[in-house]
Amino acid sequence: MQRLHGNNSFSSGGERALPFLLLAPTLLVLLALSIYPLVYAVRVSLQTGTGAGARWSLDNFTRLFSDGFFLSALLHTLVYAVVALSFEFLLGLLLAVLLNQEMRGRSVFRAALLVPMMLPSVVVGVVWRLALNPNFGAINGTLKSLGLNTESLTWTASPRLAFLSVIAVDVWQWMPFVFLILLAGLQAIPQEPYEAARIDGSSTWQTFRYITLPLLKPAILIVLLLRTMDLLRVFDQIFILTEGGPGFATETISLYIYRAAFRFGNFGYAAAMSFVLLIVTNAISLVYIRLLQKQETA
Amino acid sequence: MRKDFVTRILRYALALAAVVVAVAPVYWMMTISLKKEIDQFSMPPKWVAFNPTLAHYADAFGTRSFGQYLLTSVIVSLLATACAMLLGTLAAYALSHFRLPRRLDKHFALWILSTRMFPPIVTVIPLFLMMRDVRLLDTRLSLVIVYTAFNLPFVVWMMRGFFGEIPRELEEAARVDGDSRLGALWRVVLPLVAPGLAATAVFCLIISWNEFLFALVLTQTDAAMTLPVGIAGRVTQYEIKWGVMSAAATVAMMPILVFALAVQRYLVRGLSLGAVKG
Repeated sequence: MQRLHGNNSFSSGGERALPFLLLAPTLLVLLALSIYPLVYAVRVSLQTGTGAGARWSLDNFTRLFSDGFFLSALLHTLVYAVVALSFEFLLGLLLAVLLNQEMRGRSVFRAALLVPMMLPSVVVGVVWRLALNPNFGAINGTLKSLGLNTESLTWTASPRLAFLSVIAVDVWQWMPFVFLILLAGLQAIPQEPYEAARIDGSSTWQTFRYITLPLLKPAILIVLLLRTMDLLRVFDQIFILTEGGPGFATETISLYIYRAAFRFGNFGYAAAMSFVLLIVTNAISLVYIRLLQKQETA
Repeated sequence: MRKDFVTRILRYALALAAVVVAVAPVYWMMTISLKKEIDQFSMPPKWVAFNPTLAHYADAFGTRSFGQYLLTSVIVSLLATACAMLLGTLAAYALSHFRLPRRLDKHFALWILSTRMFPPIVTVIPLFLMMRDVRLLDTRLSLVIVYTAFNLPFVVWMMRGFFGEIPRELEEAARVDGDSRLGALWRVVLPLVAPGLAATAVFCLIISWNEFLFALVLTQTDAAMTLPVGIAGRVTQYEIKWGVMSAAATVAMMPILVFALAVQRYLVRGLSLGAVKG
């Protein structure tokens, strides 16, 4: 608290302490429930055995590299993130650019698109378990009534289709989010550069490539950052849709960590894996943040 | 002219297709909750023409435990939102209206934000063990505590943005009139950010209401389970009562849709943690 006496223009001592008093409860709660748990988890991950038999070791970390489940969960997570992010971004950008114009009913359209991303993930799970059920689901039912053969479309019951299904559900839920943020970004772009481009006779593609994209870059980076972090930690929808199955076909890192900790009670190993996820997520988001900062100073 | 017309048709067709894809599966689930079992999975699927029934709702919330889960969800969301709003608003005010020495205000703000960046699976393991140590597992209180911490960084960042938009002259005028710093906050600043407060609180309600992983891990019995966990517990069992499940899921989603509509204006801002001002 001694630092208070530095370059501070407030008159009385009470005034100087006030901001710290206002901040204290929040900082304490976050210390106790965000920072202390991390320290606790480090300790748990560096111990093997329990109770009196516990000893310090790096076993939980060295074990990671030879664990096939872990490596395949890591691979699933990365593929899931890259594929879902690509589709969400391209579709969202396409929709945002096409609809960045005055059109009748746009507010209704916007409101309807909000529905998927606001839903509790459990509801998304129930909705798609119903829609994707191979025997009585709405999708196969509709395809059948159009005269198509749906026998091979078993969706979440076959490993390969299950992986595609969980990705498709993610795109369904989160593409509107990308759309919404990019549309807001587009609407913040001033009109002048477009008028200049029109006078110069630029083509639609040139205008998009050399005016829209560069000016939209901050919004693009933010939306990619937020989506990437969420995709790498994905848990809820997959847990409810497939529980990581069939077999382990859709098991991502978060699901495997959950299984290790709360099905097998292997907390130390689960904590070690969770740190790998934390480091990967932070490294990737740091790249985005650097790009954003460069953007701001440029 | 012709080209213009074609692009306009295309634009509307695309918008319509996107809306249908977004809403149809949700609508389908709602019809299942209202259909008699014989209509639920008839082929071809019945999208509109069926005799509605409320039997599944009565079953879910009357005879089964979903009523209790619903109550827990309401209590936990409201309490966690109230705690986070109280603490977070004060902290946000300190960060936006005071210049702290050595740029501490900036450091604190970034540090607070960074606590929200941890993947939940990282903190859920130690929090489970900590709650077990203090014998709070399977209580509503544990969820209120965890959700408060979860919402705090969000409240601080949102409210810091809203406070930042208030001209300081207004506050200084109130202080010249003899208000203390906190008096000025209460009488002048807070009324001005009322829409921001309301929007932030609604976001906290949505976040707490939708939360799944922590509730799944920290609760085990009907006494403390939230609605999402209650639904998930039934849905992953083999014998699934689809009418009951859909009724419970419909109830879980309704307040969220109302809330989302209420904060539509602030949605972009809330979803990007204040990074994009829509």
